[in-house]
Amino acid sequence: MRLLSYMGQWKSAAKEVLDRTAIVAKFLCLLHVTNNYLCSPTLVYGPSMLPTLNLTGDVVLAEHVSHRIGKVGTGDVVLVRSPVDPRRILTKRVVGMEGDTVSFYVDPMYSQTTVVPKGHVWIQGDNTYASSDSRHFGSVPYGLIQGKVFFRVWPPDGFGTLEQ
Amino acid sequence: MVGLIGRLWNLQYKSIVKEASGKTLAVAKFFCVLHITNTYLCTFALAYGPSMIPTFNLTGDMFLAERLSIKFGKVGPGDIVLLRSPESPRKVMVKRLLGLESHSVTYVVDPMNSDRCDTIVVPKGHVWVEGDNIYNSRDSRQFGPVPYSLLEGKVFCKIWPPKEFGSLMKSGMKDPDL
Repeated sequence: MRLLSYMGQWKSAAKEVLDRTAIVAKFLCLLHVTNNYLCSPTLVYGPSMLPTLNLTGDVVLAEHVSHRIGKVGTGDVVLVRSPVDPRRILTKRVVGMEGDTVSFYVDPMYSQTTVVPKGHVWIQGDNTYASSDSRHFGSVPYGLIQGKVFFRVWPPDGFGTLEQ
Repeated sequence: MVGLIGRLWNLQYKSIVKEASGKTLAVAKFFCVLHITNTYLCTFALAYGPSMIPTFNLTGDMFLAERLSIKFGKVGPGDIVLLRSPESPRKVMVKRLLGLESHSVTYVVDPMNSDRCDTIVVPKGHVWVEGDNIYNSRDSRQFGPVPYSLLEGKVFCKIWPPKEFGSLMKSGMKDPDL
């Protein structure tokens, strides 16, 4: 008799746990979908985008809609998966789209010109002295672009859209 | 009298709207689960074209591809992979993986016109893919090694046509160690 009442209590407690877990799971799903397909905050750090982005780290908002509809163009700051290390995501500026002619300095006296092949983009960091980008690993397939940065959230004195 | 009818209509309308939104929510949740499964677990796709003959037919075979191996780095030479084309970002293609980074790959440059072979070392972070039908396939021999992040799935099972149902054997023709 007492066993039955224990089982009943246990059942209702388990049901409540499941309901709460379902709510948390649904919230995480919504967060995940927003992060991947709409807009996500990202911490970016490193010297390669000085002076646009700081060395010690900025929190920026990146939207994930433009690159799916082909609206990424020259001058945009984008998040790109590194072609050299698949686990890293880089923040660089798009300097040339497919078909564009790009000139860059390999060393201070020797400049090279290339045409960006079909389906690729040429990315460079704003701080050309301390950036590992397309000048080193070549043009990057457009499919590696993960998002376009459009707004800075932190630090507060840098709040707002990024300058060109 | 008119007010009473009005209130009755309101009540009916409310319950219809409630039921409709409840059903829509259930359908939306089902599509969400389907989408998550497709993107992170397992997806099925139709492959057509001549570049993977005889493994896949010209007119189209359906197969299952799983997405976990790519994320955990468990693909190797000999696997058939789904990858986003480096030339047309909206196209996804099916090819066989022949070499991972730092592997040395030997390939026939232009089998229709000559027997010339070339050897290349796959750079860091890239993979080398080729179609099984090297006479009619646009692959790494034309557009070079492909960054690993463009890989989207590993094909493990063919599901259509029914008489070719089953897991895909590693190709005997292409030994990546040769």
